[in-house]
Parts: sequence; C-alpha cells; structure tokens
Amino acid sequence: MARVTGRPNIVLLSLMLAALLAWWGLPSVSVAPNRIVSGSAYLAPEVAGVGLAALACLPMVAVMGLAWRPSRTRLAMALALVVLMLTALPLWLSLAALRLIDPTSPGARMGIGPGPWVLLFVLLLALIELRTRLGLSRRLGWGLLAVPLGSLGVCLMRWLSPLALWQEYQGRREAFESALGEHLLLVGVAVGVSLVIGVLVALAMRRWPAAQRAGFGVLNFLQTIPSIALFGLLLAPLAWLSSEVAWLAALGVSGIGWAPALLALVGYSLLPMVRNTYVALEGVDPTVIDAARGMGMSHGQVFRQVRLPLALPVILEGIRITTVQAIGLTAVAALIGAGGLGTFIFQGLGQAAMDLVLLGALPILFMALGVDAVLGALGERLRPGGTP
Amino acid sequence: MSEARSWGRQRALCHWATPFAWLVLLLALTLGMEALEGGFRLLEPDSREIIYTRADFLVLLGRHLLMVGTAGILAIGLGVGAAIAVTRPGGRDFLPLVSQLASMGQTFPPVAVLALAVPVLGFGTVPVIVALLLYGLLPIVRNTLVGIEGIDAGVREAARGMGMTGGQILRQVELPLAAPVILAGIRTSVTINIATAAIGATVGASNLGDPIISGIVNGNTAYVVQGAVLIGLLALTVDSLFAKLMPTRG
Repeated sequence: MARVTGRPNIVLLSLMLAALLAWWGLPSVSVAPNRIVSGSAYLAPEVAGVGLAALACLPMVAVMGLAWRPSRTRLAMALALVVLMLTALPLWLSLAALRLIDPTSPGARMGIGPGPWVLLFVLLLALIELRTRLGLSRRLGWGLLAVPLGSLGVCLMRWLSPLALWQEYQGRREAFESALGEHLLLVGVAVGVSLVIGVLVALAMRRWPAAQRAGFGVLNFLQTIPSIALFGLLLAPLAWLSSEVAWLAALGVSGIGWAPALLALVGYSLLPMVRNTYVALEGVDPTVIDAARGMGMSHGQVFRQVRLPLALPVILEGIRITTVQAIGLTAVAALIGAGGLGTFIFQGLGQAAMDLVLLGALPILFMALGVDAVLGALGERLRPGGTP
Repeated sequence: MSEARSWGRQRALCHWATPFAWLVLLLALTLGMEALEGGFRLLEPDSREIIYTRADFLVLLGRHLLMVGTAGILAIGLGVGAAIAVTRPGGRDFLPLVSQLASMGQTFPPVAVLALAVPVLGFGTVPVIVALLLYGLLPIVRNTLVGIEGIDAGVREAARGMGMTGGQILRQVELPLAAPVILAGIRTSVTINIATAAIGATVGASNLGDPIISGIVNGNTAYVVQGAVLIGLLALTVDSLFAKLMPTRG
C-alpha cells in the first residue's frame, strides 16, 4: 500500500481544497453571553483579521504543492505540516477566546463552529492517507496525535476556559467522573461475565455439536433485537422478580437501573464472544495438535499449551468487538436509568443543550476508538508471526 | 441469479415461512394491541392509560419503516456507488482512505453518531434520516469493497479476455460475484438502523421509539413493552427476510 508515485496525489489535493473551503466558508466559533442564548457566529477572518486567516492557509497550500509531485520526502514533509495544523487548531481557538470573550462577563461562552470540526475531520483523513502512503505503522499514527493532544491539553488549562464544552464539564465534574466510572464498570463487568460464559458455551458447543446450531440460533436471535427494545422488554420481568424475591430487591435489582442493562449487555456480548471463541478453538491446525499429541502431551496440556495460545488472537478479536459494542450500548442503557455517559447525551437532547450532548458523546467515541486501537494492537502482537 | 430465483420459487412456501410468520405477528400486534389490554393491566395496575394512544401503532410503524427505508435506499445507492467508484482505475487513489474510513467508522457507536448529528443538523425526522444514512453507509461500503476486491484476479482477466468492456465486467462479473457479501453489508446496515431509528425518538423523530421513550419518561412499563415488542418484531421480520435472501448461510 505504500505506493509513492510521481503522479499528483488527488486525495490530498481534494482534502486540502475541502480544508480551505471549510476555513473560509464555515463559521469558526460562536459566542454567546450565557448558556441560554444561542450565540452569534464568527468566520475565520472576523476572528483575527484577514491577514492572519490568510497566513493560516499557507500550510494547506504547501501540502497541496507537496502533493502535486509526491515523493517520500515530500509526503513526510506534508505529514509534518498536517500534524502542525492539528497542533495549531487548539491555539487558534484560544486566540478566538482571547479576542472575542469579554473577560468581565463570567457567563460568556464560546462554542466551536462547524469550520474547525470539518477542518479536524479533513486533517485526520489527511493524516490517515499520509500514514498509509508512507507505510507507517498504526501505532506511529496514534503517536503522531500525541503532539496535537498535548497542545489541546495546554490550551484547555490556560486559555480555553470559556469553551462551552469545557464549561459544561467544569459544572459537572463530579457527575462526569461518576458517570464515566459507571460506564466503564458496566462495560467491564458485562465483557468479563460474557467472556466467562462465552468460553464455557464455546467449550460446551465443541463437546456437544448438537448444541451448536441451537446455541448460535438463540444468540443470533438475541443480537437482532434492537437494544432499546431489549432494555424495554426486560423492564417488566425484572420489576416483577424484584417485587416477588426479597433478596433480589435487596441487591438493588429492579426493572430500571443496572440490572436490566447488565443482562441486556451480556446478552448482546455473548454472540461475538462465543462465535470468536468457537471459531478460534476450531480453527487451530489439526496437524499442530497431532504433533503435540505425538510429543506425548496429555489432552489438558494440548488444550492449555497449544490450542489456547494459538486461539488467543481470535478470542481477543472477539473481546475487542464485544467491548466496542458494549461501550455504545451502555450509552443507550442510560435511558432506563443505568447511568453512564449516555445520561449526558439524553439530558442534553432533552434540554437542547448541544454541548452537554457532546460531553457525553465525545468520551464514548474516544473510548470506543481507544479500546479498538489498543486491543487491535494487542491482537496483532499476539498473532503468531505478527509484529512484536 | 435466475437459478437462485427458480430455486426460491420451488421451495417458496417453506422458504418464506419464517419471515412471513414474524410479519403476521407484527401486523397482528400493530392492529390489535387493544385486545391485549387485560394482559398489560397486570403490568401497570395503577395507570389510567394502558395502551399507547397518542398515535396509531400502524402510523408509527409506517414512519419507522419510512425512515429506515429512505436511509437504507440512499445508503445502498451511495455506498455501493462509492465502493464501485474507488475500485475503478480513475478513483483507485481514494481506495486506501475510503476502506480505512469505512472500517474505522464502524467503531463509532450508533448513539454517539446520532447524538453528534443533532448539533450539526438539528432536531426532527430529516436529521435522523441523515444520521442513519451516514452510519448505514459504512457496512455497505466496507462489504462492497471486500466483495469486489476479493474476486480472483483470474476471473476478471478471463472476462477481459472474452472481450468484455469495463462496464460489462462490473455488471456481469463483479457485482454478481460480490452480491452475497454486499447483501450481508446491507443486512447489517438495516438491522443497526432499525435499532438506531428508535433512539431517534429522543431527538424529535416520531416512530416506534415513541411509546418506549414516553413510557420511560412517564414510568409506564406497559407503553415501553408495547413499543419494544413491535420494534423487536420489526427487526426480526426484516432480519429473517434478509436471511432468506442470502444465497448461502453466513
């Protein structure tokens, strides 16, 4: 995939053209005197003058120039420029905050306009494109993002306090932390429980092949039912159970809350978990097993020392799919009072407070991407012959 | 294709039995929810209203189908089109980016996508359709790419050797061979969207999610169960329909 040709790189050219359009045509920030009033939008030249706005276009034009006759060195330079632009984005927002927000009015807040969001998206696409063309590892790609993230951190600490998203966070610091904890706990417990059950079910399916068809049938059926419907359907039986069985009620089981959420999460998690574990254990080359037997290994030894290690990457893939899925489903569980970051999403939607929605949605997004990246890299490392 | 169709006709009766059974159950419950009032009374003995009456269930079902259907048809057109475009010589430069984007985008939780769409697009039915469309694109693009890229180079070579043009190869060789994988992508896309559309009820789109949300807000379990049962049945009907359309079990 690391094809570097002398032809113009059309992808980069179109991405940078889109970046230029977004920069000049879309509002950069919006400023509101308080939380209730909707803000007034400012274009990039209105924030810092035409001169500075034009200066900011230089790296975009430079990347277009480099993409016109690409070579390895030029693409590497373009990559550096893209990282530079990503790093400069929070600084730009800081500048806007310093210029547009009246420091004497404490309620004033700044929202990020569509311009920077589109720019961020386009620059990330350019980063992915350049990383692929240069054949850099995925890990290096994530590593490159450390610089812009550092810049964002510094800006948030020093200048970006009027940012509406940041203010929503500051106002709910404790609620946010406990919601994050609940979210992680629900996901962790659901994935842990379904891993244990999933491995047991997969082992049972290997022993009794008749159970396999029925088992996958049930799990496929469960996976088809929309999450919101499953949460809803669990309300009634669990409410009934907790009213009939005293010790369940004492445990905190009720129609709403963590109990139906956890049950539904485990139900959804089982299919990918069982499928991957089953396929992984079945997929081990039989000649390897024969060789291990031939060496005098017992059944248990073959399983523990040969089959399981060889199956591990595929099982890990199952854990990855399950975890990413559970992170998203837990957000929906907020609807039935299970807590978690989804609470902010639905509160924000109810109050039409978009920054509150973002406060819930962005961490969920980052969590999903982070888990995907970390577990994906781990699976790659465990794969026989994979890059260590 | 014709072979699959005649095979389908031969076993039509038992072949379509499962989706048909789900469909009958779905329609029966949609039209006759009032008949079950006694049952729901057990769930909510204290509530005055037992059956959700703010809108007809048939209307809600229709709106739900309309939203998912519109988004689905647009997503199929755009997704398959985009995947075809980037596998042609002219658009090949975009292939690595598009395929990475499609696989990475599927990591995004649908709720987060819906939530992020609202600040940009606003409340209501159209923004939800746009969000469903964007999210539904990813599995379709990805599977179409996998399907077309997975075709043995020799097959394409043979078709070219027979004097087929690029368009003929696409229509008569590539798309038919990739069809099962593409269909699997459409199935994933539509199944996810049926669920996500229901959550769209929280952002002002009226559909089968309405009774659920309204039930949760008002603490009326009967409403929640009514909405949940209908959405579940809709998902099962559509999914079993797709399962029967698949040439092979997958």
